[in-house]
Amino acid sequence: MKLLRCLLVLLALAPFAARAQDDPFAGMGGSFDETKHAIEALAVSGNTQAEPAIVALQDGKLFIAPDKSLWIKTESGAINARTGEKAEAPGGLKPVKKNNAVREAANAALGSLTLFSADPAIRKKAAEAVFRSRDPAALPALGRALDKETDAGVRAIMEQARAAALLSAPDTADADRIAAIGVLRARGDLEASSLLSSINGGSPEVVKSAADAVASIARVQQLWTLAQGVFYGLSLGSVLLLAAAGLAITFGVMGVINMAHGEMVMLGAYTTFVVQQALQTYAPSLMGAGLLFAIPAAFIVSGTAGIAIERLLIRFLYGRPLETLLATWGLSLMLQQAVRTVFGASNRDVTTPAWMSGATMWGGLTITYNRLYIIIFAALVLAALMAALRFTSLGLQMRAVTQNRRMAAAMGIRTPWIDALTFGLGSGVAGMAGVALSQIDNVSPNLGQGYIIDSFMVVVFGGVGNLWGTLVSALTLGIANKFIEPLAGAVLAKILVLVLLILFIQRKPRGLFPLKGRAVEA
Amino acid sequence: MSRVSLNLCLLGVMGGAVLLAIGNLMMPEGSAYHVPTYAVSLAGKYLCYAMLAVAVDLVWGFAGILSLGHAAFFALGGYAMGMYLMRQIGTRGVYGNAILPDFMVFLNYKELPWYWHGFDNPAFAILMVVVIPGVLALIFGWLAFRSRVSGVYLSIITQALTYALLLAFFRNDMGLGGNNGLTDFKDMFGIPLQADSTRCGLLVASAIFLALALLVARYVVTSRFGKVLIAVRDTESRTRFLGYRPEAYKLFVFVLSAVMAGIGGALYVPQIGIINPGEFSPANSIESVIWVAVGGRGTLVGAVLGAVLVNFGKTIFTGVLPELWLFALGALFILVTLLLPGGILGLLNRQARRAKPAKAAEAAP
Amino acid sequence: MMHQDTLLYLDGVNVSFDGFRALNALSLYLEKGEMRAVIGPNGAGKTTMMDVITGKTRPDTGRVVFGNNTDLTKLDEPAIAALGIGRKFQKPTVFEPHTVWDNILLALAGDRRPRFTLWARQTGEERDRIEDILKTTRLAEHRNRRAGDLSHGQKQWLEIGMLLAQEPQLLLVDEPVAGMTDAETEQTAELLREINRTRSVVVVEHDMAFVRALGVKVTVLHEGSVLSEGSIDHVSDDPRVIEVYLGR
Repeated sequence: MKLLRCLLVLLALAPFAARAQDDPFAGMGGSFDETKHAIEALAVSGNTQAEPAIVALQDGKLFIAPDKSLWIKTESGAINARTGEKAEAPGGLKPVKKNNAVREAANAALGSLTLFSADPAIRKKAAEAVFRSRDPAALPALGRALDKETDAGVRAIMEQARAAALLSAPDTADADRIAAIGVLRARGDLEASSLLSSINGGSPEVVKSAADAVASIARVQQLWTLAQGVFYGLSLGSVLLLAAAGLAITFGVMGVINMAHGEMVMLGAYTTFVVQQALQTYAPSLMGAGLLFAIPAAFIVSGTAGIAIERLLIRFLYGRPLETLLATWGLSLMLQQAVRTVFGASNRDVTTPAWMSGATMWGGLTITYNRLYIIIFAALVLAALMAALRFTSLGLQMRAVTQNRRMAAAMGIRTPWIDALTFGLGSGVAGMAGVALSQIDNVSPNLGQGYIIDSFMVVVFGGVGNLWGTLVSALTLGIANKFIEPLAGAVLAKILVLVLLILFIQRKPRGLFPLKGRAVEA
Repeated sequence: MSRVSLNLCLLGVMGGAVLLAIGNLMMPEGSAYHVPTYAVSLAGKYLCYAMLAVAVDLVWGFAGILSLGHAAFFALGGYAMGMYLMRQIGTRGVYGNAILPDFMVFLNYKELPWYWHGFDNPAFAILMVVVIPGVLALIFGWLAFRSRVSGVYLSIITQALTYALLLAFFRNDMGLGGNNGLTDFKDMFGIPLQADSTRCGLLVASAIFLALALLVARYVVTSRFGKVLIAVRDTESRTRFLGYRPEAYKLFVFVLSAVMAGIGGALYVPQIGIINPGEFSPANSIESVIWVAVGGRGTLVGAVLGAVLVNFGKTIFTGVLPELWLFALGALFILVTLLLPGGILGLLNRQARRAKPAKAAEAAP
Repeated sequence: MMHQDTLLYLDGVNVSFDGFRALNALSLYLEKGEMRAVIGPNGAGKTTMMDVITGKTRPDTGRVVFGNNTDLTKLDEPAIAALGIGRKFQKPTVFEPHTVWDNILLALAGDRRPRFTLWARQTGEERDRIEDILKTTRLAEHRNRRAGDLSHGQKQWLEIGMLLAQEPQLLLVDEPVAGMTDAETEQTAELLREINRTRSVVVVEHDMAFVRALGVKVTVLHEGSVLSEGSIDHVSDDPRVIEVYLGR
């Protein structure tokens, strides 16, 4: 009985083995095993029809006729898979069946097939596919591809792919294995590490060098994790910086405690929403640049609101900080309710343009574009703000008024006007922050509420009236938060940072970088 | 602040509470004098808020400490009472566990967390109502006043304090009911909470404690201590050169005020039937400040008046025009600070002062 | 250098704010029972010197010794006040919402701790002391007025009255006659001389006529250190003083 079965199998394989020489397609559409072998044969055949056939197989568009002819169905008609010519397909087509083994084989085959593409990006992708499949069958193709490869980056990945394939091939020599381990160790990411730790057996040297490589990769990974933490921290810090930069002007420079600051941020976020809506209706082609329009719009909207607030409310309360606090809190309630009445209480959708979504890898770092752009944006806003204070005549007058109001007035500076403009500037910056925050937070009437306490803490921690202090403080708080998070969880991290801040302020009430001198003493 | 107005206020609070209780318990339903139970609870709630307002006025009106975190002390007192009420439920909870409150059974707690021990004892719970807010105020105040944090900075860190507590109490790991807080209370000192007589009793108790708070506060602010406190409020550095330690004065009054707020919170919880982390929200603390501002800062009576009036307004508004409430509250903040810096009592006093010379002139010939 | 009867002794005191040297190796001695006038142009360091003595500003280097051997640089304002150093500010600072009477009551020497003031009752002795001081400062008929309602000159006197109530060994008086009428200035000079009978006084003043009227030893400060010291005639003849005051 056993013997009979063996014979049957041999009989079944014999024609396949014979035909494999001349027709790499042979067996395709037979059993899963036959299909898999056919794919592998195609991959090394150099047949020009190999790629479209395997792609069609992957997409479920490869069919087999009762006469074993293979057909690719396209929208414009059927194509004979062996010849690549259009023809009338016979009746009784059945799709070529797939299982996981077939899919894997197809992926690996495509990987080695596209190793010869003219486009380096595709070659790179192919090499990465081989690296993941670790299929020793791809070795000959990889060898040929490496001989021809000119692009250094693609070459490196191909070498890594070859190393991976070599390590999983059973008959590789120890020396080659150790060399391959070296290549993977240099790659240094988690995939390399998991590949290396899957090595078992082989000579003691191989095992030891693999273990060393795994440890080395773990060290490298630790550094990357650290760097990733710093990136997340910088990203949170830049959000804090954006939220606090305007406050650093209104509270830090002018000494006005504006509890409606968060609502200026919120107005900026809603301006983004309105600008996007308007563009969608009137100029859909400009949608991608919507944020670029929203930035000045938000600056103007929030800035104007700020000037109005200063003229109508705050100027009556100068010198009464606690009353200012209460009145502006009342204002913030009204602004929230107004926005809720106009736009509704639910979150509004602000679209993220294509150039801001997605992520890139930089070594072991995952860098999401929206975070990256927000960091850059925060840096630009701060630089612009500093430049405005330092180099414009408005900035000069602002500094004069805040340093010595009466003297400035005596020099002919219209101090009330400067007060209004300074407040408008701070509010406008808050509005710009709102544009950025609309990309990472829910645009709702409560948006600003979430940032107000944090913003005040940033400004106070950094030292009032000092933009550099605000910068350092925002980044410090952001990074501290992100490093405590894995230890204690997000909420507890925030609480801990708040408590530490409260303790810090009690130790150094004037912040990290206090202004010194007699003016402060008074 | 005049003695007369404070005495009037005491009379009003006590008399009002007793009248409402009588109207609820003695008058038959359907009678024009019958007071529905919900109105009794509502009045009790107002009086608890009034206690919080008196506490805020004590520190803000007389020591110049604008605390934006006083609702935290109120809520802590409330939680201490809530924990006692939770333990009182016993086996009557949904899960019928004699030791663990429902939410703990739900969250797979195996045993009672250590800080819940003792709260089945009413005396211990009442002690904690005073001790927990008091100790927090002591630690926080000691740190803050010693390093001379004052004015707006102090306001901001008190706000951060209550914000941190808000976040902490929202966590389920805190073992205090997380998001939902503590609720489903059954009885207090063995008396069912839902009974009309309990409601009336709680209202009268609130009135008594509010009156006590007012009397204590009046004693403190009219004593020599109070005079120093007012001096510290207006010219802190000068008091230092006279040899006073402002931090000691502020600390004492801050702790006293926190304890008052805590007692207010403890009376609030059984009348409302729930305590949840929302009570810690910074908005609540700021609202309590505006009650004081509306009534008149630094008058004690004004705090009571403001708390009752604003909350009455809130009840009406949120019933009739809920969207307009925040507009009204916001406008109240702005109008009071801009146009009515002395609050209602300030306005009344000014008019009384204006009326007096006129009368004297009439009487002269 | 230290005399038996030296009350206050500043030795090489340096204070700087952000690179600006407010006091530059300032040294100064004050005898027990002495009255000293300190003059100097704006920014000479007069107010900073007062701040250092009363503990408001801590010097970077140098020693400030009071009485026999108390190092003032180690103490804060209330502790220094308790030692018996009183200070009157340039701008009169009184407790405006309180009555004149209460202002002096709060300044009276006594226990300053909350646990005392919380239960304190006014004693007959305290009442007598307050009456005395009201008489000295010519404020007796204003005793029940709010301090905030007083005239500028009355506030100056009330503040001097509060200083007296503190019963200090040393009074630091910053520009006591600024904004006063001639008659008030004269009365103030008289008041200070009377106070000086029992206590030491340091007066910082711009008004040369007033300094002359006091008739005491004068110290001239310039750029944070002592430029000249001696009688009013001596210092006004000092060429360095003339240069500083009149310019080159």
